[in-house]
Amino acid sequence: MIELRHVTKKYEEGIHAVNDISLHIEPGEFVFIVGDSGSGKSTIIKLLLKELEPTSGRVFVNGKDIGLISHKQIPKFRRNVGVVFQNFRLLKDRNVYENVAFALRVVEAPRSRIRKRVPIMLSLVGLAAKYRSLPKQLSGGEQQRVAIARALINEPKILLADEPTGNLDSQNAWEIMRLLEEINQKGTTVVVVTHNMDIVHAMNKRVITIQKGVVVEDRKGRGGLNQYVSI
Amino acid sequence: MFSLASIATMGACIFLLGVFYSIGSNFNQMVREAEEGVAITVFFNENATDDQIKAVGKAISKRDEVAHYDFISADEAWEDYKEIYFEGNEKAAANFKEDNPLAEDANYEIYLADVAEQEDLVKYIEGLDGVREVHQSEVAARTLTDFNSLLTYISIGVIIILVAVAIFLISNTVMVGIAVRREEIAIMKFIGATDRFVRAPFVVEGVVIGLVGSVLPLALLYFLYNAILTYVYDKFTALNSMVSFIPADQIFRFLIPSSILLGVGIGYIGSRVTLKRHLKV
Repeated sequence: MIELRHVTKKYEEGIHAVNDISLHIEPGEFVFIVGDSGSGKSTIIKLLLKELEPTSGRVFVNGKDIGLISHKQIPKFRRNVGVVFQNFRLLKDRNVYENVAFALRVVEAPRSRIRKRVPIMLSLVGLAAKYRSLPKQLSGGEQQRVAIARALINEPKILLADEPTGNLDSQNAWEIMRLLEEINQKGTTVVVVTHNMDIVHAMNKRVITIQKGVVVEDRKGRGGLNQYVSI
Repeated sequence: MFSLASIATMGACIFLLGVFYSIGSNFNQMVREAEEGVAITVFFNENATDDQIKAVGKAISKRDEVAHYDFISADEAWEDYKEIYFEGNEKAAANFKEDNPLAEDANYEIYLADVAEQEDLVKYIEGLDGVREVHQSEVAARTLTDFNSLLTYISIGVIIILVAVAIFLISNTVMVGIAVRREEIAIMKFIGATDRFVRAPFVVEGVVIGLVGSVLPLALLYFLYNAILTYVYDKFTALNSMVSFIPADQIFRFLIPSSILLGVGIGYIGSRVTLKRHLKV
């Protein structure tokens, strides 16, 4: 599903963001990528989205070597990879419904499909009642739910989340993690980049630890939220 | 707001372009009329036969640079001369009744399509059989040719400057639009929008700016051109016999499609080029 083979990303200033990383993520897995600020974990997300090109090595997503994808083919590739950011990246002048529908409009989906899919997705993230609210009228957790709904509306096989709880309080952070786990249980591969070790420890998932651009630990989890979460 | 400013400045560019084109076209027409007044006169040898004269006429008619030519017989030449120089003194002219003093002055009067070609044509005619002399006005020809070239160079220069200014303005508008909507573009790209999808609203904006920015000044110019022509013909009646202005319809037959095409083209290309590097996400 996702594979990095000896991937190195060196920035122009000569800094190694990622240095000869190899890792493999199976379909349906839930994986945390953790590390300090500047360790290179967000660079991995950018490489997986083909926002950045590796200096060397190969990146496979959904079984495809994305180094071979042309600029013209990138949109089609990205429709199969949902992405969620720390700062939500919602369109501030559009309401919840429009923000989610936007992802379908971008892929030029017919109106009938938009009308059908958006309410279903909003129910899934628990925001059906707030479909007319603007982002500024929502809490951080609710905004992140909208972002998740938008990321999933095109039914991607992979969901990448870059610090999804970074701007949230503890309660909202846990709600988002529960939602991500639900999504994972329905079959979507979920990759979460975070430095929130409380959540990582509590969730007992696979954890890949990166330091200075190198994988220093890859620990398999037991799966499922532990007791701490249900408190 | 910035779009409005852009339409206004684009409109100013197209307006200036129209003003310049109108003035240039009318000048060109005047120069052409002046050129038509410049003639070459071809005189024949004393013993030139009718056949030789006809052959010269035929050779002249085949030249591309000749707009039209007339044959002036000796009698016609004398009649014209009398009209000009013996006006009010017809008796003196009658003394020459049976003896045409211009008996040897039958000639061809040639009017050129382009005075710049005058020298070549004169050389050619001088080499024809039966030709005694070719009269020409070199100074008039050279002045008109130089003036025409100068007009062409200035026109090209002004048009290039105005087009460059318009492209700069459209790019600026699109760039501000991109700055405002950079986040939206990035989001679109992350969720799988094609370049065409992202580009469409910006290109439409550019084209609309070009369209509105060319139609408004054209309408204003059309109204002004007619008003000025009416004013000049009314107030300066003496000019009417000397110069003629090109009618508005004739000017705008070219100006309307070319300005709209230019405006829309600049809008389209300007927005596409500016957006290009922002799509490489």
